[in-house]
Amino acid sequence: MSHPIPHFFQHNHNKTAFGRLLRNHLLTVLCVFLSCITIVPLFSLLYLLFKKGGSFLSLSIFTELPASPGLEGGGFGNAILGTLMMVGIATFFSGPIGILGAIFIAEYAPLSRLARTVRFVAKLLTGIPSIICGAFAFAMIVLTTGHFSALAGGVALAVLMLPTILITSELALLGVSSSYRDASYGLGATPFQTIWCIVLPEALPAMMRGMMLAVARAAGETAPILFTALFSQGWPRSILEPMASLSVLIYNFSALPYPYQVQMAWTASLVLVGMVTGINLIAQWAFCKKI
Amino acid sequence: MHSRSHILTPFTEKLDELDQSLLKIGELARRNLKNAITGLFERDDDYCNNAIADDEEIDLLEMQIDREGLYIMSRFHPVASDLRSVIAAMKIGANIERVGDQTVNIARRARKINEHPAVEELHELDQVIELSSKMLEEALRACVEGNESLALEVKNMDKELDQLNKELNERLILRMQDDSSKIPIYLNLIFISRCLERIGDHAANVAEDVVFEVSAEDIRHLSSSQISKEV
Amino acid sequence: MTSPLASLPFSEPFADDVVCDQRFIEVSNFNFFYGKKQVLFDINLTIPARQVTAFIGPSGCGKSTLLRNLNRMNELLPGVSHSGTIAIHGISIFDPSIEVIALRRRIGMVFQKSNPFPKSIFENVVFPLRIMGKQSRSFLEETVERSLRAVALWDEVKDRLKESALGLSGGQMQRLCIARAIANQPEVLLMDEPCSALDPIATAKIEELIVELKKEFTIIIVTHSMQQASRISDLTAFFYLGKLIEFDQTQRIFTAPIQKKTEDYITGRFG
Repeated sequence: MSHPIPHFFQHNHNKTAFGRLLRNHLLTVLCVFLSCITIVPLFSLLYLLFKKGGSFLSLSIFTELPASPGLEGGGFGNAILGTLMMVGIATFFSGPIGILGAIFIAEYAPLSRLARTVRFVAKLLTGIPSIICGAFAFAMIVLTTGHFSALAGGVALAVLMLPTILITSELALLGVSSSYRDASYGLGATPFQTIWCIVLPEALPAMMRGMMLAVARAAGETAPILFTALFSQGWPRSILEPMASLSVLIYNFSALPYPYQVQMAWTASLVLVGMVTGINLIAQWAFCKKI
Repeated sequence: MHSRSHILTPFTEKLDELDQSLLKIGELARRNLKNAITGLFERDDDYCNNAIADDEEIDLLEMQIDREGLYIMSRFHPVASDLRSVIAAMKIGANIERVGDQTVNIARRARKINEHPAVEELHELDQVIELSSKMLEEALRACVEGNESLALEVKNMDKELDQLNKELNERLILRMQDDSSKIPIYLNLIFISRCLERIGDHAANVAEDVVFEVSAEDIRHLSSSQISKEV
Repeated sequence: MTSPLASLPFSEPFADDVVCDQRFIEVSNFNFFYGKKQVLFDINLTIPARQVTAFIGPSGCGKSTLLRNLNRMNELLPGVSHSGTIAIHGISIFDPSIEVIALRRRIGMVFQKSNPFPKSIFENVVFPLRIMGKQSRSFLEETVERSLRAVALWDEVKDRLKESALGLSGGQMQRLCIARAIANQPEVLLMDEPCSALDPIATAKIEELIVELKKEFTIIIVTHSMQQASRISDLTAFFYLGKLIEFDQTQRIFTAPIQKKTEDYITGRFG
């Protein structure tokens, strides 16, 4: 290009402009660098899991029971199933309570004393260590029924999940544009119709994402399960009996002195991470589609 | 005319410009009438020629007023008093332009009369001149001041002027029968009187527009008793 | 549903009762408070049927608040209270026997920001019918066509009724909202600055629509546009600081308002 650079643009090539540009570039580089650092742990973790546990990955680990300590072979199908069942029980309890509670505190009486209390308690609960939830379920169910059970494990996880579901669901409801509510009420819809026909469908994707977050977190919890569902060598038979779970299996196996079992624990970790990621991906995919 | 302080400065400025143009055209019409009358009484054609020449300026001003009014309407969408004042200004401009035309007629007639020897009967016009000039003066003053009562007074003078004009015509027609040699002069005088009467009509129209501008009342074609009821 | 409103003369909108028509909506000695703050002061206003009445005034003058009181939308806000009455057809809308849901079904509302639901065009229009439990397919289809035709949207969208309403243009969305508001054949249509986000052509279409619709509905529109109020309304009410300053024929307000405040506002002298 033989065109001379217009004077208007040339004028900026003074000292302060240069300093400004430099500072701008430095900050950008810094941000990119720090962002990269945040993904380092994640990828190194995945790398480690695949390296250590990947070699044992086979169909049999999903279908077979764990071998006795010291012996080789077998799988941990019962633990996978157990984790799914207990998380299912937990979701069964905490999901409806959390969502309906969120609807109440977000839609029906956002300023009421009850709503304020619920909100406050939920925030407190998110900060409670998971082991306390386990102790709670232990005292509530294990002690009263007299034995460890999957039900108790589910309840412990439910207590853990409830505040997350409640808070994310409330945020999801608050995120629905108030113009939809105006339109609905303006047309003479009842609060029930407005919430069920207009607000809830809008808030559902965000609510489900929040719920999946809670599920993923609960699936990986060890402490509450240890107190409540304990472990079982066999396939789950009843939710009133102790039940195996991946997290407890990892915990148990990794403490054993046999290299084979330690290796198995790595594989179980990989499967657990895979499950959680899978649940998240499904949630993202299933609830992101809007009309 | 009256103090304006719109939030939008250009709007105020344009309205003020319109007022200035109106002031100018009124002043010119007044001066032309004065020139034409002076030319008649002092038998000086220069005054008459001035009045005739200056009419072009009045015509230009009338067009300028319309242009400015149109500009304000299209750009600023005036409402209420602003709308009335723009409409009134455009109508008043048109009326004053007609006054200008009448002064040209008077000046032309005056030049014709000046070709003849002076006549006493010129002073027959005195009353008509006095009243019509007064009407024009006061109509313009009412316009500048936004003075509604003054405008109503002007409108009320119109009848008297018509009467004076009619009487003058009758008197001059009688004289024509006595002295046919002066018929051209008398005819011109009748025409001049007629022009002055027309000027009075236009002044009354201006007064009506002023009343509309100030109070939004349309008092055209109303009898004086109806007007006092309306306003 | 046997609400008290069902027995009102609401369902016969074309009653010949001229007095009733002239005094269709009567607001008397109405005061309104947000918490302790009073935002409407002693409003007295009589709105005739099947005319367009415009509420104008500077922001925060209470015009929208009054509008939202006419269908008791303000009750959705926390800490509001009022005194005085608003009567429609001579019956107070605050009467304990009046069901607010039934009231809102007789009074359509269109908002400043067009707010179609994230549903299909069809479902948007039939929403007011669905919430009343009407399911007959043919009836719903009939209503959709009638309503969309009334807002001159039918030809533009008839081939994509099943598509999302959010794919429409801004002007189309607002017309869809009007179609939805009239689907249930209310008698009153409240409009809260319906054109403030639209381009001139879309605005012109809505304005034309309003003039069309006033044959059937009593329309009350809040607008910031003086030109809009003067173009489409029959009556104009000017509010300032929560008070009704002047209420008169639109023609009168825009050529010769009586109150100085009105004059100053509409000519742009406030400041």
